[in-house]
Amino acid sequence: MEFAELIKTPRVDGVVLHRPFMPTVEGTLCLTGHHLILSSRQDNTEELWLLHSNIDSIEKRFVGSLGSIIVKCKDLRVIQLDIPGMEECLNIASSIEALSTLDLLSLMYPFFYRPMFEVIEDGWNSFLPEDAFKDLESMTDEWRLSEVNKDFSVCPSYPPLVAVPKDVDDDTLRKVATFRHGGRFPVLSYYHKKNGMVMMRSGQPLTGTNGRRCKEDEKLINATLRPGKRGYIIDTRTINVAQQAKARGGGFESEANYPQWRRIHKAIERSNILQESLIKLVEACNDQSHSMDRWLSKLEASNWQTHVKEILTTACLAAQCIDREGASVLVHGTEGADSTLQVTSLAQIILDPACRTIRGFQGLVEREWLQAGHPFQQRCAQSAYSNSKPRQEAPSFLLFLDCVWQILRQFPCSFEFSESLLVLVFEHAYASQFGTFLGNSNSERAKLSLPEKTVSLWSWVNRPQELERLTNPLYEANSLVIWPSVAPQSLLLWEGVFLRWNRSSKCLDEAYEEMVHIIEYNKELQNKVNSLRRQLAQLETEDPLLQTP
Amino acid sequence: MEFSEHIKTANVEDVVLRQTLHPPSRGTLCVTGHHLLFSDREEGSCRQVLLLLRNIDAIEKSVENLLAYSCPFSNAGHSQRISGSSGTISIKCKDLRVLHLDIPGMEQCLNIARSIETLSCLEAVSEMYPFFYRPSNASLQDQWGLSSPEKHYSQMTELHDRWRLSTVNRHYSVCPSYPPAVIVPKNIDDAMLEKIAKFRQRGRFPVLCYYHRKNGMVIMSSSQPLTGANRKRCMEDEFLLQAVIDGSDKGYIIDTRSSQQALQARITGGGFESKSGYSSWKRLHRQMERGKALQESLIKLVEACGDESHNMDRWLSKLENSKWLSHVQTALSTAGLLAECVERDGHSVLVHGSEGTDSTLLISTLAQLIMDPCCRTLEGFLALLEREWVQAGHPFQQRCSHSAYSHARLQQESPVFLLLLDCVWQLWRQFPLALGFSEALLLRLATEAYASNYGTFLCNNQQERCVLRVKENTRCLFQALLRPRERDGYSNPLYEPTELAIWPSVHPQSLQLWRGFFLRWTPQARHLEEAQEEIRNMIIEWGKLALS
Repeated sequence: MEFAELIKTPRVDGVVLHRPFMPTVEGTLCLTGHHLILSSRQDNTEELWLLHSNIDSIEKRFVGSLGSIIVKCKDLRVIQLDIPGMEECLNIASSIEALSTLDLLSLMYPFFYRPMFEVIEDGWNSFLPEDAFKDLESMTDEWRLSEVNKDFSVCPSYPPLVAVPKDVDDDTLRKVATFRHGGRFPVLSYYHKKNGMVMMRSGQPLTGTNGRRCKEDEKLINATLRPGKRGYIIDTRTINVAQQAKARGGGFESEANYPQWRRIHKAIERSNILQESLIKLVEACNDQSHSMDRWLSKLEASNWQTHVKEILTTACLAAQCIDREGASVLVHGTEGADSTLQVTSLAQIILDPACRTIRGFQGLVEREWLQAGHPFQQRCAQSAYSNSKPRQEAPSFLLFLDCVWQILRQFPCSFEFSESLLVLVFEHAYASQFGTFLGNSNSERAKLSLPEKTVSLWSWVNRPQELERLTNPLYEANSLVIWPSVAPQSLLLWEGVFLRWNRSSKCLDEAYEEMVHIIEYNKELQNKVNSLRRQLAQLETEDPLLQTP
Repeated sequence: MEFSEHIKTANVEDVVLRQTLHPPSRGTLCVTGHHLLFSDREEGSCRQVLLLLRNIDAIEKSVENLLAYSCPFSNAGHSQRISGSSGTISIKCKDLRVLHLDIPGMEQCLNIARSIETLSCLEAVSEMYPFFYRPSNASLQDQWGLSSPEKHYSQMTELHDRWRLSTVNRHYSVCPSYPPAVIVPKNIDDAMLEKIAKFRQRGRFPVLCYYHRKNGMVIMSSSQPLTGANRKRCMEDEFLLQAVIDGSDKGYIIDTRSSQQALQARITGGGFESKSGYSSWKRLHRQMERGKALQESLIKLVEACGDESHNMDRWLSKLENSKWLSHVQTALSTAGLLAECVERDGHSVLVHGSEGTDSTLLISTLAQLIMDPCCRTLEGFLALLEREWVQAGHPFQQRCSHSAYSHARLQQESPVFLLLLDCVWQLWRQFPLALGFSEALLLRLATEAYASNYGTFLCNNQQERCVLRVKENTRCLFQALLRPRERDGYSNPLYEPTELAIWPSVHPQSLQLWRGFFLRWTPQARHLEEAQEEIRNMIIEWGKLALS
């Protein structure tokens, strides 16, 4: 297919662009296969380059022959284009609609994008499972890296290499995979160096109504327990939901068959409910009614903050079991690709200082979301403005980022990265020139040859100029476990994402820069003091007369 | 009266103090005339808690251990039961802190509780701690206050053409709640002022609050005119206001009541400026909550903040029900309107509600912060508070006698000053560079207004302060805050003066709960100040480096 077929009017002059808190720009609008571009052709005005895949929905309005297109983006920005000429406007609108909803992955922009920057380190090779396993090997010899899934036949959503208990062979794993939803057998998610306890994740066990059991499954997870110790299974569903799952072939680990495990049920909502919550929240944030009561009750009705709280609470629980109770944990919900990953990744942010560095956080996203098979393509196909019927969309990943932001806000000095990294990752999960978040699993990414044909987001991030922008100036490495408060009073709305386009950030940005400036100046002065001290010490040794008696 | 009459048990050993964010500690509790002193006895630590009794809003007693001792199988006699039991006193402070004291011995516990109850709400101002407070580093000869109306007038030379300093109120006879000297239009003589004072509630005739240098426009404040049901007029009052807008086409009157409320006020003798009498003035009504409703809002908010149900919906709906954030929004948007009239529209404004001592001062103060860079420095802000709140007669004594925990029947309490501080905090949050002072200052002021070592917020107006010789017998808080050691902690390290007006966003989405104050003593607040602290330490380090 040629993009040109979809573009009836490739350019229109005299288009006026309205953006929140920015001066209006008049210029020429161009449509290309992947971008909507508006340029005033003047040097000092910023151009607009908008990826079609970032467009969530559009609205058309006409006043006489002047048409307006309101473009609502997946990053929650809303812009307006005033287009002279009815026909041009309709053409542009229909092109945008068609181009922004192309389903074919191989036509996506990442396959056409050529980096304009020097790649210092290829992000596709930065976070390989075998490297992560080397770190694990240095701490323990109780685990091995299994290649049982090397052709993705045992579990299509798992990576080719997974860490499993040393004593469990590949045949056992194959049997266990048939007993777990989507073939997602229990694998290692995190090893707690301090006490050797582990966190594992999986899909739900397929016990069904007649209570099927699988000795191999029991053997596998028991292999992670120390003699005489008990473990915890954190089921992210309520007991009722878990019971109902039996009717559809799913289920949970019964006390009878898993006597060494204590099951805890939590209530993290499933995808469609989360998507509705996001839509309501964004609608509330854009409410212009100036009524405080209305805003607060809409915020409440969206339930978004409740979801944040539930997820954080469950993650804290998992972390507590590991760090305070000294027990190993298995986390799963239904498929083990959404709420499960929220819990396991957040628990690592809490427990492991390494995950709070810029590189560690990328590694965490890579390990616990991309390689763990979170279906980004399905989940992030639409955002809060879309009018089409939601299918598999869900802001699971955005909720995870929101929770990280809550912890970051409560521990402003414990993270090497600033809020900007979280916003950046959110944007790219929904629309990107990079291939990182394309596809739903490792197997899909391998089929599409993404590492060969596209650029990784991490290649862009891991360059000095970008790292500098993403670094938290207040960072001081904190090797402790950080326990966030999950009281409703402590949780805030993430303004950086949800009110980003509704407020002018000029003053806040200035303050941030001033703070960075102060910190840099402070470092400079400290260096000066140190070198002066050294000089003084040297002078004193050279000239004994200077030494005070 | 002797304080000792109220203290039956002055000293108790083996008391356990429990407080959020601190491990429990065991030590000695002492009650004095003005303080509760707890000192830790454990080795290696020397925790001391010194609490002004005045800071205590409410106490609750419970004697839970008694049950265990009075069970029917116990052979213990009656006397043993009493001596072996213990009680807990929960102390809820006006600064929203909550302390629990486990006190051995029923009788001691009850004695302590009774002493606290009596001593914490003594009415006599001259018995209050500021009259006894004698810090070693300052003498009473220090200047009291930052400025005076006379000094303020003499510094504002651009005023002298059209405005004069009147001392008509030098004996507080014309308006008891005004300072002895006020600024009024030059061609209005004292005899006219006396007549106008009779036409305005409690004599609060229109006086100058603020002169906008950029365009010469002013903010005036007063109380409501006493037109009553038969629409009385006062030529002198009309004449005064005409003199204010002399040379301009019109002025605005911002009435902080709804037009309905203003109409109703006529029945009780109040009213508003009618079109016929004040043809060049355009009246704008903005309903601002005051008095009891505001106090109830605070009580509900604090209750919501203390809610431990861990339920997000409950928290958000309680926050909404308290209406506190709506009051913040109304105050800021009315102040924005006022500033817009003066700065953008280029007209003078008269502000009043009914008495002119609450919402009037609130919005005129906020408007000055929005427009005038001089008010945004640490000194400037304190001077603004001194002028617009202390001297202008905000009845601190009445408004701040109880806070959110008190069980006492509401009288004249109302957290107007606290609402002001909250609004200033919102400004600070939206313009982190524009204000020369920090959140710590706002927190300190919020505490001091309710209970203080200093005399600044004592009494309801200058006349009362004069009678009690507050200036001669107490220390001034504002002076103390500006001392070099204190001011470090209260200045904003990011401050960069700007000449521009700072227009706050009043979208509900832009306003936030002032967590630093309302959640200050809850476990959630643990990390709120960490980043601020970090920056502050750096600034202090610089200071040291610069010296060495």
